[in-house]
Amino acid sequence: MATLLQPEKVLYLVRGEKKIRVPLSQLYFCRYCSELRSLECVSHEVDSHFCPSCLENMPSAEAKLKKNRCANCFDCPCCMHTLSTRATNIPAPLPDDPTKTTMKKAYYLACGFCRWTSRDVGMADKSVASGGWQEPENPHTQRINKLIEYYQQLAQREKLERDRKKLARRRPFMPQAFSEKYGLGTRLQRQRSGAPISALYGLSLKEGEDQKEITIEPAQALDEVEPLPEDYYTRPVNLPEVTTLRQRLLQPDFQPAGASQLHPRHKHLLMKRSLRCRKCEHNLSKPEFNPTSIKFKIQLVAVSYIPEVRIMSIPNLRHMKESQVLLTLTNPVENITHVSLYTCEEEDPDDINSTAKVLVPSKELVLAGKDAAAEYDELAEPQGFQDDPDVVTFRKSNKIGFFIKVIPQREEGDVTVAFKLRHDFRNLAAPIRNTEEVEATSEAIWLTHHVELSLGPLAT
Amino acid sequence: MFDCSHVKIAAGAVVCVESDIRGDVTIGARTVVHPKARIIAEAGPIVIGEGNLIEEQALIINSFPENILPDAEDIEPKTMSIGFNNVFEVGCVSQALKIGDNNVIESKAEVGRSVILSSGCIVGACCAVNTCEVIPENTVIYGSECLRRVQTERPQPQTLQLDFLMKILPNYHHLKKTVKASSTPARS
Repeated sequence: MATLLQPEKVLYLVRGEKKIRVPLSQLYFCRYCSELRSLECVSHEVDSHFCPSCLENMPSAEAKLKKNRCANCFDCPCCMHTLSTRATNIPAPLPDDPTKTTMKKAYYLACGFCRWTSRDVGMADKSVASGGWQEPENPHTQRINKLIEYYQQLAQREKLERDRKKLARRRPFMPQAFSEKYGLGTRLQRQRSGAPISALYGLSLKEGEDQKEITIEPAQALDEVEPLPEDYYTRPVNLPEVTTLRQRLLQPDFQPAGASQLHPRHKHLLMKRSLRCRKCEHNLSKPEFNPTSIKFKIQLVAVSYIPEVRIMSIPNLRHMKESQVLLTLTNPVENITHVSLYTCEEEDPDDINSTAKVLVPSKELVLAGKDAAAEYDELAEPQGFQDDPDVVTFRKSNKIGFFIKVIPQREEGDVTVAFKLRHDFRNLAAPIRNTEEVEATSEAIWLTHHVELSLGPLAT
Repeated sequence: MFDCSHVKIAAGAVVCVESDIRGDVTIGARTVVHPKARIIAEAGPIVIGEGNLIEEQALIINSFPENILPDAEDIEPKTMSIGFNNVFEVGCVSQALKIGDNNVIESKAEVGRSVILSSGCIVGACCAVNTCEVIPENTVIYGSECLRRVQTERPQPQTLQLDFLMKILPNYHHLKKTVKASSTPARS
């Protein structure tokens, strides 16, 4: 029974750049465009970085400098769990008197899941609890940095050349002094809003040429390669010592083949992202800055605006026989919502998955508003809705149960039906245009959604 | 056959009354058996060494192999022997006939009858090991797929924990009486 409540059974269609069918719980609703948005038709922006184990916030610039890794926390190279620091007491000679020994604390890293310790790879115990652990240096860092610098300079120079050509073409029309006086007037300058303006002018062009030329030596190809050891083919493999691919690739600098060279790495940072509608540029989801808080500053999720359809019970479905499926409709908003259902027309371009015919109730269904205090109110008055008992089975605060009739058309396979859901939506976000009007200015607009239900296999 | 409960508990062991010990079981000194631990010697005696820690709801059972009826005549009783400084965490099931020293069987792990644990092995939480093999020393079995790796040092004996328990448990539980191990077991 619980499987019927799974959200993947009921899919809503999103008409974005691609047509996507997703459960309502994964969708957002832009109330300025009055449309459903899925994760693919919004732009994702990084809000903040934080470490998942110490929950420390990090500004983006610092994160970029530290290569998106936390300074304090380590990952186990064996099972990728978070490492914890443990302490032991070791006897150590006093600095003043070498003959006497005193107990000093020595710290080592240990994994609680796979029991890996930093002593396994030969890392000595440190005398400070945090900050003593270093990641091993990549032997090629210097060469890589030099290459990056060289190519950065090359790219900058090419860009300057390109702009110089453009500027040279326009020179007869626009003298240098003119463009300098009028800042961001020219199209060229507007396009390069990120780059320093000074790069565009003749004076600084010369400065750029005076910059130190970085040269790199080309990589040298070697003729001779180190030969394989003689017992390479005959030596038995020590399986516990061989690293798995995943362990190896988590350290792309070294990719050690042996488990005794697996060093711990700093933990990756996670990020909080905010979503923005691509059409109207309004924020759809903006989390709070604090990593310990799971709330949102702006949370325009579809579940709080669109009525949700859920499957309640499915009878035995037989080929070409009409059966009644019980569905529920929940109203998420506080005012009364009117919902009508329509079957998809023949040759509807959205209707590609349905394998059964469906007959939906023809009358309009009325849903009461969501009242948060209703559950505490024992003397709940009857809501006074006239319900057709053939269609509406029960009504409970903002939820109703109703029947649809399904006639499976195929002999085998899963039964999928689709229909259109039309409801009225009051846009509270619309600005109050005329303050002289007494009545509520929120007008109802009618939204139509395409809903698909997957009802499972036919009864045998 | 061995349905008399003849438990030999050495002096210095702390065995709570609420633990369920049946059959011919010998428990060494400095071993702590928590309440609700079950040690059942059905198909043969169990000998437990010193310094072991058997936590709540752990089940150490010397049972008949699945396909042999208990009434068949030609089964000789095999002794299950457990070394010293082992830890049987909460809810684990151990049927292994031979367990060495310094092993740790973590919570809800299952060790089958044909497994022989040498020394220093750690069977991780919820890992079920029922192959027919000797687990090499210092092996760690972890993860949902029972991956293995070798650690360089054996797990430390839980001396601090044992000392603490031996002091505190008698304050809250009645203990089973210690019996000298030299007395012969009575047979039915």
